[in-house]
Amino acid sequence: MLSDNELLRYSRHLLLEEVGESGQHKLKQAKVLIIGMGGLGSPAALYLAAAGIGHLVLNDFDEIEVSNLQRQITYQSSDIGEPKVEVTKQRLQQLNSDIKVRSINKQMPEQQLSMELTMADLVLDCTDNIATRQMINKACVEAKVPLIVGAAIRLEGQLMFFDHSQAESPCYHCLFPSSEEQTLNCSNSGIIGPVVGTIGTLQALEAIKYFVGLPSGIKNKLKLFDGKSLDWQTFAINKDPQCPVCGQA
Amino acid sequence: MKIQVNEQALILPNSMNLEQLLVHLEKPLIGSAVAVNMQVISRSEWTQYNINEGDNISLFQAIAGG
Ligand SMILES: [Zn+2]
Repeated sequence: MLSDNELLRYSRHLLLEEVGESGQHKLKQAKVLIIGMGGLGSPAALYLAAAGIGHLVLNDFDEIEVSNLQRQITYQSSDIGEPKVEVTKQRLQQLNSDIKVRSINKQMPEQQLSMELTMADLVLDCTDNIATRQMINKACVEAKVPLIVGAAIRLEGQLMFFDHSQAESPCYHCLFPSSEEQTLNCSNSGIIGPVVGTIGTLQALEAIKYFVGLPSGIKNKLKLFDGKSLDWQTFAINKDPQCPVCGQA
Repeated sequence: MKIQVNEQALILPNSMNLEQLLVHLEKPLIGSAVAVNMQVISRSEWTQYNINEGDNISLFQAIAGG
């Protein structure tokens, strides 16, 4: 049951037949782990808190730097030097005190990540390096926890959704088998804020859709976003039978 | 053989597989992904996929930023 305050706060959700009171209740029960509180994690966390996702766990190990403020919209100039997860947690609680927010201010080793996954319904990968992305993917495959992956550099974005609760689901490693840091990131390539914000926002949208039971348009797909033309390309991803992560054990 | 690579027409001098195409185009093998006609072809299958006339091939890089 939703309280009178909740009925008012989420009234624009309740007007939608796709959400309604039962959908809002599912959002309230939901537990989401967001890894990375940068340009993707900022809008994703804000939207999920605003939407009433009942349990958010925030993970990062960085402190806020002045160069983050160009795109990481949770933070203000006065936050420089503060841990990202602590500032985000405080903002989210100010935004919505009905939800529970927990912060993990460290780089989680594999074992701790696996333990966190036993308590998560869904993971958003909002990180900034391939090695961590591969570790998150592997842990989600093993724990059978669905994973929404976002990435962006320059004026390009990538978005994908792997439902690891389904045994036949492909994984991030099927698509990008390399864990070598030859890949591009925001500090070596540059990024425009709204590009990474678009991808983080869509990770939040896919999370909300997942919990209210709407089908995802990106399951087992890779969406490429071109911030110049605003064109999207959609690619189907099949399970790689040779994949060492999700292939037959 | 006439194909499309990232929406540009390309004539291949001889038949080749996807891995040979990346080498031919001097693209890095590490961190690259390849799709044929909007279907991603896994890295482990690049040498088994022989490119066909008219294939629409997309090459892109893994990006890590966030
Ligand atoms: Zn896989």
